[in-house]
Amino acid sequence: MSAALQLEGLGKRYGTTWALRDCSLEIPEGTVTALVGPNGAGKTTLLEMVVGLSRPSAGRLYALGLSPDRDARELVPRVGFVAQEHPLHRGFTIAEMLRLGRELNPRWDDALARARIERLGLALGRRVGKLSGGQQAQVALTLALAKRPELLLLDEPVASLDPLARREFLTTLMEAVSDGGLTVVLSSHIVADLERVCDHLVILSQSRTQLAGPIDDLVAAHRLLTGPRSDPATVARVHQVIRESHTERQTTLLVRANGHVYDACWEIHPVDLEEIVLAYLGYAPAGPLREAVAG
Amino acid sequence: MIWVGWRQQRTETLIAAALLAALAAVLVPTGLTIASAFHDGRLAACIGHTEEGAGACGAAVQAFGARFANLSALLAWATVVPGIVGILLAAPFVLQLEQRTHRLDWTQSITRDRWIAGKLGLAIVTALAAALVFTLMITWWRAPFVRLQGRMGNSIYDSEGTVVAGYALFALGLALAVGAVWRRAVPALMVAFAGYFAARLFVDTWLRQRLVSPLTATFSAKGRGPDLSRAWVLSEHPVDRHGHAIEFIGCPRDAGACRVNGTTDYVQAIYHPASHFWPLQLVETGLFAGAALALIAFAAWWTHGHA
Amino acid sequence: MDMIEFHLEARSGVPTYLQLVQQVRQAVRLGVLRPGDQLPTVKAVVGSLAINPNTVLRAYRELDQEGIAEGRRGVGTFVREQPAPLPADEVKELRSSLQRWVARARAAGLDADGMAALFSDVVRPPAVTRVA
Repeated sequence: MSAALQLEGLGKRYGTTWALRDCSLEIPEGTVTALVGPNGAGKTTLLEMVVGLSRPSAGRLYALGLSPDRDARELVPRVGFVAQEHPLHRGFTIAEMLRLGRELNPRWDDALARARIERLGLALGRRVGKLSGGQQAQVALTLALAKRPELLLLDEPVASLDPLARREFLTTLMEAVSDGGLTVVLSSHIVADLERVCDHLVILSQSRTQLAGPIDDLVAAHRLLTGPRSDPATVARVHQVIRESHTERQTTLLVRANGHVYDACWEIHPVDLEEIVLAYLGYAPAGPLREAVAG
Repeated sequence: MIWVGWRQQRTETLIAAALLAALAAVLVPTGLTIASAFHDGRLAACIGHTEEGAGACGAAVQAFGARFANLSALLAWATVVPGIVGILLAAPFVLQLEQRTHRLDWTQSITRDRWIAGKLGLAIVTALAAALVFTLMITWWRAPFVRLQGRMGNSIYDSEGTVVAGYALFALGLALAVGAVWRRAVPALMVAFAGYFAARLFVDTWLRQRLVSPLTATFSAKGRGPDLSRAWVLSEHPVDRHGHAIEFIGCPRDAGACRVNGTTDYVQAIYHPASHFWPLQLVETGLFAGAALALIAFAAWWTHGHA
Repeated sequence: MDMIEFHLEARSGVPTYLQLVQQVRQAVRLGVLRPGDQLPTVKAVVGSLAINPNTVLRAYRELDQEGIAEGRRGVGTFVREQPAPLPADEVKELRSSLQRWVARARAAGLDADGMAALFSDVVRPPAVTRVA
């Protein structure tokens, strides 16, 4: 499977602050990847660079094998983007928004766009500015999908939506994925949504990639170890300790296992995705705080 | 892109058209009245004989002028319309930058260059079209007055010829440049209008007369000097035989009216004759248009580099 | 009209694809799904649950491997003919030996939950080992 997205040491600097630094990862074709991280971690910066809205300060970036900088004319028609605020021309009617898509995109599928709008129950003559947040998000998504992209980037698309609108948005998205030929990267805070919808995960924290890989593998590879209070050094020699916390009598370790955990004194529990994400984002449970050992 | 650019400036274009239509609604009926008054009074025959003391013609022309004096004065304010139109047509571009919807367009399959060129090109063409309509209307309306007095008068000059296009483009360019950097439409457009106004004032009151070298004529106070009736007189003052200015006690140096009878033999006039109309127009247009193009190029370049 | 409608328990700890597999198995057992019935298309499942299509594909592959359903390319996934159910006396024998075991477990002090835990431990041992 070739890579839909390939980053090599990618970085972006604004003045003296690095919004994104030394980011390297590969996202395979046909996957739905979650981009997770706190605000300011660089998620938006990364997506903007892929779609060509800003230029990297360091490193290299290939989307569908092309460089957004040099091959913009060839790449932009194949990449769809829905920005965080899902900007739309508020004075336009839905029909006019579709016409804009038709005029500006050579690979525009008008029938698909109209079918989706109809399924959403929206009248073509309605002004975009008068739609609800969820409806606007759906129109923005329709615009991006009708372009027939091979790579679709969504920046916190459901953050401002109510649960029903969120579910409808994700349904539309998944149906588009099931049609085939689409790689999706979506940044979000809501881990529960991501678990249903995504098969790959990238964690960005402190402007760096902390973790990347298929979700099933990642969940299978991480364990929570509990045992009597001890030094995690022996465990750390074999496995990667992501987070450790201690009480007077007990030690809890979240590890990324390098093979089987044989140590007899530990009780081993599986970890769910949300706990893994939190651990990599640097969250440590209350108690004597230790620094989270990042990946 | 053409449809998209047009649709995105549709509202502003309609407002500009409405403005011109409102102007036309005033100009057409009054213009017809003026034209027929001119025709009925056979004032065409009086051209060239408008000096005082020319008898029937002088009185007729004076009456004609007096009859439409208020209207003329009112129409002098129309000179602000090209500036308004220029700034209006910059609004769609600046609003898009403010609302960040340009980023939506840029992630459709169009490059920044094409988008910028399309929108700015359309705004320029619309501004020029509006300027053309404006000039034609005003020129037609003022024709009788121009035939009698020439077109060098301040309130006539800046609505005729090619300068109107220059003004509209300059206002457009200034608004685009300010708006591209300061992406907040209302304050940016207000600042641009203030800048436009200041530039116009500066040119009107100081620079214009210096764009082309004026002529100087020294002539006898008792005789008839050159025909200054259709010229733009910058100053007319008493001089001695050698052309040096003479001062009078209690009288400012350049006051043309301060001729002391009998002791002054000569008068010197500094003026632009009617034949300077086109040179002045072209230089002024070139200045404003040149500045406009520089500003528009800046706006394009800045927008290109700043998503 | 789809014969079966899937549902998801998000917090059950059971992977999504496995939940789908279990629901199909149960439906076949209860006769809700009969041999020859078509399972909902991937797109239909995705449309009702908003899950990743790969999850559905994985579930259907698992069902194919277990012999419960078979995928026919370009057409869909269909329920297979099930092997004949166990003969009645075999079932009767299994039931009585189970009843004896339950009596023993209860006598040893195991309650219903304890019995169920032991049972699932033996039937499907968890992927992680608890080292005593």
